[in-house]
Amino acid sequence: MSILEKIVTQIEGIDVRHGIKMRTNIESIDPAMREKGEQFLEKYLKFCKEHNKTLDYGVESYIWMINMMMYEQVQLVSTGEYSCKSFADANERVYNNPEVMEKYMHGLMLSQFLWKHHCDVFDFFLTSIASFKGKNVKSYLEIGGGHGLFLSEAIDILGSTVKYDCLDISNTSLEIAKGFIDSNNVNYIHSNIFDYKPEVKYDLITMGEVIEHVEDPVSLINSLIGLLNPDGQAFITTPTNAGTLDHIYLFRNKQEILDVIDRAGFEVVSDFDVYSEDVTFEKAEKYKVPMMYAALIKPKK
Amino acid sequence: MEYQEVIKEFNRLFIDVLDNEEIVLKEETTANDIEEWDSLTHIHLIVEIEKFFKIKFTAAEIEGFANVGAMCKFVASKTEA
Repeated sequence: MSILEKIVTQIEGIDVRHGIKMRTNIESIDPAMREKGEQFLEKYLKFCKEHNKTLDYGVESYIWMINMMMYEQVQLVSTGEYSCKSFADANERVYNNPEVMEKYMHGLMLSQFLWKHHCDVFDFFLTSIASFKGKNVKSYLEIGGGHGLFLSEAIDILGSTVKYDCLDISNTSLEIAKGFIDSNNVNYIHSNIFDYKPEVKYDLITMGEVIEHVEDPVSLINSLIGLLNPDGQAFITTPTNAGTLDHIYLFRNKQEILDVIDRAGFEVVSDFDVYSEDVTFEKAEKYKVPMMYAALIKPKK
Repeated sequence: MEYQEVIKEFNRLFIDVLDNEEIVLKEETTANDIEEWDSLTHIHLIVEIEKFFKIKFTAAEIEGFANVGAMCKFVASKTEA
């Protein structure tokens, strides 16, 4: 039995309905992506062992996370707003709360290959990064490294001659990333992006699922201009209508994201979007289904 | 509010949210019995139930009821005169 199947079987033991949905998801993922999932989860199990955790803890954390997200989604639909109102609020709830942060990270790590829309965005990321191969990328910055999967894959694609920096506001997150990235070529930086003043400029910056965690995403995206080389580009992702503990800025639809990118002084090079549920556009609109949006962007000339 | 009254209102809310006139809720009804009742529509059912009965569910309660009967009993206990 694969690790993914083992996880789904454990989820079914706790929440049958959700487990069945996840089984359908993993069966629809193409074999190459499933293989990447297995490799990632092998690293995950190693990581658990090193930190005296078991897969049971991971599955319990995942169930905690989806229940928490369901609760936050109810608040969002009910009030039309995210319950987290400020960065200070998010800090108190999650980033400065190691127990919550750890559960959250474990839940997110398991969701990476259980959720089809996460796999679809990851696939778009791989294609986007591959388009830079042979284009003389010398420096790469990941902001909000999370579990390190994206940076790890970028290193595989772009090679070891690139200088890689990984910046995160959370030490817990950085420690997790270190455990997942098999490379000595990464410099890990514990800092808030607004306080980060490097001596180098970057050819490529990735910032996955970060802009919804700040009060002013326009300023955040705009700050990338000062970090990029003149021909540099950034890869960003963000969701619409996705209630969770630490989402602050609510994008109600894709157009609102495009407007923020534009106001931040960037233009879209290529983009991709996918709903978190396999539903028609009408149903997605009616039920405020979260959409995951990803884009390669570059500063406007 | 009495249990029978609660389940009657539940039935009306389920028909509205799930857009299915044929729904007839019973104590033992679960999501497995109603095609349109999935994790997505469950959120909207909870929102409408909270709004109508003027109550709030906790995170554990939202997903924790075994069937419609358990939900209605909980709501009845929360709305006792």
